[in-house]
Amino acid sequence: MLVVVVGVSHATAALELRERLALDGGAALGVARALLAPGGVCEAVALSTCNRTELYMYARDASAARQAALELLAERAGVSPASLAPSTYSHAGEGAIEHLFRVVASLDSMVIGEYQIVAQIREAYETAREGGCTSVVFNRLFRHTLEVGKRVRTETAIGEKPVSVSSAAVDLAEQVFGHLEDTTALIVGAGETGELTATHLRARGVRDLLVTNRTLAAAQEMARRVGGRAVPFEDLEGHLVAADIVISSTSAPHCVVTRERVHRARRRRRGRPLFFIDIAVPRDVDPAIADLDGVFLYDIDDLEHVVARNRAEREKEAVRAEAIVVEELANVDAWLRALEVVPTIATLREAVERIRTSELERLGGRLSGLDDEQRAQVELLTSSIVNKILHLPTVTMKDVAGRDECYLYVDAVRTLFGLDGNGDGRAGARGEAHGAGEAGGARPGTAAAETAAGSEAGAAGGTAEEAGARRPAPGAGGDAGLAVP
Amino acid sequence: MEQVSVISLWIALLLFGAAFALFIFHYLSRREQMNLRGVVVALAGWIALGVALILRAASAKHIPVVGAYESLALITWFLVGVYLVLELFTQVKALGLYVMPAAMLFLGVAWSSYSAPAGLMPDLQSDIVVLHVIVMFTAVGALYLAGFAALLYLLEERLLKRHRTGSVLGRLPSLATLDRLVYHATLFGVPFLTMGMVAGAIRAIAFGVEGWLYDPMVLLSLGAWAIYLALLYGHLRGGWGGRRAAWLAIAGLVVMLAIRFAAVPYWSGFHTYGG
Repeated sequence: MLVVVVGVSHATAALELRERLALDGGAALGVARALLAPGGVCEAVALSTCNRTELYMYARDASAARQAALELLAERAGVSPASLAPSTYSHAGEGAIEHLFRVVASLDSMVIGEYQIVAQIREAYETAREGGCTSVVFNRLFRHTLEVGKRVRTETAIGEKPVSVSSAAVDLAEQVFGHLEDTTALIVGAGETGELTATHLRARGVRDLLVTNRTLAAAQEMARRVGGRAVPFEDLEGHLVAADIVISSTSAPHCVVTRERVHRARRRRRGRPLFFIDIAVPRDVDPAIADLDGVFLYDIDDLEHVVARNRAEREKEAVRAEAIVVEELANVDAWLRALEVVPTIATLREAVERIRTSELERLGGRLSGLDDEQRAQVELLTSSIVNKILHLPTVTMKDVAGRDECYLYVDAVRTLFGLDGNGDGRAGARGEAHGAGEAGGARPGTAAAETAAGSEAGAAGGTAEEAGARRPAPGAGGDAGLAVP
Repeated sequence: MEQVSVISLWIALLLFGAAFALFIFHYLSRREQMNLRGVVVALAGWIALGVALILRAASAKHIPVVGAYESLALITWFLVGVYLVLELFTQVKALGLYVMPAAMLFLGVAWSSYSAPAGLMPDLQSDIVVLHVIVMFTAVGALYLAGFAALLYLLEERLLKRHRTGSVLGRLPSLATLDRLVYHATLFGVPFLTMGMVAGAIRAIAFGVEGWLYDPMVLLSLGAWAIYLALLYGHLRGGWGGRRAAWLAIAGLVVMLAIRFAAVPYWSGFHTYGG
């Protein structure tokens, strides 16, 4: 069993194709469901953003799963699988998990360090989980993936510095004013970047947003769009007294904001700083204002410069993010390997044997009255009880080893007997995620145990309801599986 | 007891050093938890220093303000205390990187001028002296902090003006935060400074100290007091940019440091109690 991914992204497919493969929530669930097949794909998640459409599967046979996914995508795109294939990529096993981690870390994104992808993956996973398309492996894998996304962003500065002119401008404003809740922004002119910046400022909680333009109608139109209020252009100086952040993007051929105007306004501002962002070409704001105390001016060149440097910085941080991906990969790998039947049986026997011998040792004093033969009898008796108890689980596990859902049994056994409690497998997960991992780890296991039991009953009755056996009920396994701290 | 006190002071110094290292690591790695750990370690250092001061007070049988060793250790304790209050209870964050070196420097200087605990000279055995000293030290902690914040303010203002938006800028508190810190620390410190000066004057008059008004320390204190009043006045009246307030706070800091490191050991007439 291994994780397989098939997908298209901005790196491999043109926008036109990505558009045709874009899946909304319902369609994503439909695709995931269509992928699930007896003997083939056991769990599936479909991820679709404007830059990528990817199908994640937990499958027995990688190439069969790959083929099924490709056909499904081709059908949606309305092309033949053969012609779609060159635009897709595919990874299996560790490679697929690495890919998923790199995606969530935004290392595979168009803009490195963007944050939306984490929410998008969370949504894709939630959709699949609620639709009953995930189980033990994907519940844990995706939960872990979201942790990786979080870790990359808290431990590296990959998404810290803005890489667009408008958000760089807002960031600088925050450097001056701290929180923007108490500030007023003034937008002069109706340029596109100005509007974008206004939207950013709104999102960061700026208290009041004034919009002004030579033609009042244009100002009113934009004010409506960005949630501000239009004010008359004639009273610019009055607005300079009220505003803390001024974004200017008029098409005027000369300076709109002169030094004299700012100087006069500044005296009425009682010492509050004034921050100008001039994104117009030719410039709107007289550069000479920059030497006034408490007045800061950035023009489009300055901002572009900031953006370029921030981009370079993100590239550097990306190296550290890659290291985190590699580190996390090892954790998941160990856990996935533990889902194999044979080592689990061995671990189970060891664990129970340990209990038996330790109990005997505990009783050592009371058994001292026995002679050697009697003691051997006790040894024999306890061993045979243990073997009897373990016989059926062992046989059953070996029995299902060839089946798709065997890993559900394995997970159930590992959980019920606490085989991952000390030292191996998931206990090796890193410190922070440890608590959440344990808490979450216990419950999906229980759900899996239920479903495993259900599956056995079904098999005994001769009608293996595989789909039901494979997936825990959304309420039970699902909620427990997503242990977001 | 004195030995334990000194060891405790050393532990405090080491903990401040460790906190400083954590703050540097936080600065470089941007891992928020590093700052938190630094704050916890700094808090431990602050407690250790408090223990050192209490034990010193117990062995010397007076509040530990006599001589450079005791007074500098106490100043450090107030400085770190004000920083911790800000860090834990306000939005002013990440100042530890700048406060810790100052704390270490002060403790180092304190140690270099260590003196064995001595009994209180009769001149200082009075309630009003105790009051005078305590409020003065509170004022000093707050006003030093205002000065450091002002230095950062000017640095950041300059970076913003020159469009040096590199890595340093993003790691400083916002300009508005520093401006508020300068103002609030001053606002907090000035009433204590005033009280301390009044208490000192009452003491001097009551005991008929000759020429106390012309004592360099008294004159310098009056100068600092005037500077801080000007700062507060400018802020309340409005119309002053943050830059002017910052320069005043720095001027105040220079005077305060001159009092501590020049006037007390070298110039003062009657404030010199063991350097």
